[in-house]
Amino acid sequence: MNVEAAKFRPVSNEQVAVLGTQPIPVGPYHDPDYFALEREAVFKRAWLHIGHVSELPEPGSFIVRKVEAARASILIVRGKDDVIRAFYNVCTHRGTELVAQSDGLASTFSCRYHMWTFNDHGELRGAPDFERFFLDKADCGLSKVAVDVAAGLIFINLTPEPEQTLSEFLSPLETQLEQLPCATATTFAEYLYEIDANWKLVYDNFQENYHLRFIHPRSVGTTATGPENPFGYATGFDFVGLHRKQALWMNPEHQPGPVQVSALERLVNDAMSGGYDELLANSEYFAVFPNFFMLNSPILPFSHTVFPIGPEKSRGVIRFYWRGEDDSATQRFAREYAVAATRDVHAEDRGVIEAGQRGISSGAIQHIHFQAQEALCRHFINSVDATVQAYKAEKSLGGFGA
Amino acid sequence: MTDAAVLPGGFEPLQVFVDKWALATSFERSRERETSSLAQMREFYDAFAPYLNDALAYLDRKGLAEFTPADERLMALCLSLAHVTLAVEVQGEAEAQNALLRHEMRITRSTAERAA
Repeated sequence: MNVEAAKFRPVSNEQVAVLGTQPIPVGPYHDPDYFALEREAVFKRAWLHIGHVSELPEPGSFIVRKVEAARASILIVRGKDDVIRAFYNVCTHRGTELVAQSDGLASTFSCRYHMWTFNDHGELRGAPDFERFFLDKADCGLSKVAVDVAAGLIFINLTPEPEQTLSEFLSPLETQLEQLPCATATTFAEYLYEIDANWKLVYDNFQENYHLRFIHPRSVGTTATGPENPFGYATGFDFVGLHRKQALWMNPEHQPGPVQVSALERLVNDAMSGGYDELLANSEYFAVFPNFFMLNSPILPFSHTVFPIGPEKSRGVIRFYWRGEDDSATQRFAREYAVAATRDVHAEDRGVIEAGQRGISSGAIQHIHFQAQEALCRHFINSVDATVQAYKAEKSLGGFGA
Repeated sequence: MTDAAVLPGGFEPLQVFVDKWALATSFERSRERETSSLAQMREFYDAFAPYLNDALAYLDRKGLAEFTPADERLMALCLSLAHVTLAVEVQGEAEAQNALLRHEMRITRSTAERAA
């Protein structure tokens, strides 16, 4: 390899100045009123990552997922016709949450309250003593939620008629996501955390590298920092509508320990035999609006979704996508290591994010600051705020429809 | 040595680690790392790491579906080493602090527990 060509060059200040250079008001990171606007403007309108097709392996498979940001529980079903449908998990009789399990296999769903029973298309198929209602069963189907799949990932949209299809929303990232392990994965590993912090404060942590050498001196350490790039800054940013990407710098001089090598060799071999040679050499991190990350690495093929729970409370879900259940002891060992190693890094982030929330919520400062290498954070708040402001403008103009 | 601690032939020196480290789930392995001292983990690492590649080669030849209870224990020790190596090879003296932070990151699903 040409050593000159590999020499690290950071993104210049000028390249990102187009995003603005002003301090950022702290309101959006703790204000309950702003969060209420985000519920409507962002989480009830954008396509939201909610699952993976491997969670619905066969006709009749279903999952139930909470979307606290929209105060909703969503039932997602693979029908007998193999079509994936999504509904509000709400009985249309008197609004009771319909399904209590988080996943399972079923051909019908009965409400425990008065036994109204719905089929896999969401149609009301039976209701005891229904003649006493003043209703037609055909008008009593479950409320539908838009659902679609890209790269094996299930997304929902809580707008009755979404303005964009999922493909339009993700474009042009969809074709890139389709090249990643999640697209053909048949299983996944998972860890999750709750955190006392605004979802954007959580999300921001994972889209800047400025903190790496201070918060992760060992767990990231020399894998992604080194003498020529002491902060581990990105080699490039890409702003794609509301979404963004960064190209990650990897230190070619990094030396893992001997047991780590045993795991990494297998992960690399699996990546090569999976046809991911190109991805191995080209590390990118996708930040899909509003709350989804995907690392393109075939050796650490994880997504990270930050679900808002309240203005100062969130949940992070990290999933590692694998093709096939473990085929051998060595693969099982390597996958266990991949999850455990990444978990060390995310654990270190959680504490410092909560400390940031406490400081912001105290009212001590009115603004926070993003440097040029935190440009993704700036693009993110710009994207969220533009969405919120457009919603406010629409509501203030809205007459009849409001 | 009770039967419950027996490992496959050739791995007898590692049997002293079975009670503590041959655990059933990724979650339990992660918790055991959190509640162990660095000295305990170094002891396990120093004894087991030289056997790791032989253990994996033996288990690979067996195949996951053919494991005996003794093979399962050896597999579980390998999987615990995947966690412990992060304490020994990576975190070192920072392990105690990292353990406190890690406690809130709950492993909820692992391919190691999805054996056919």
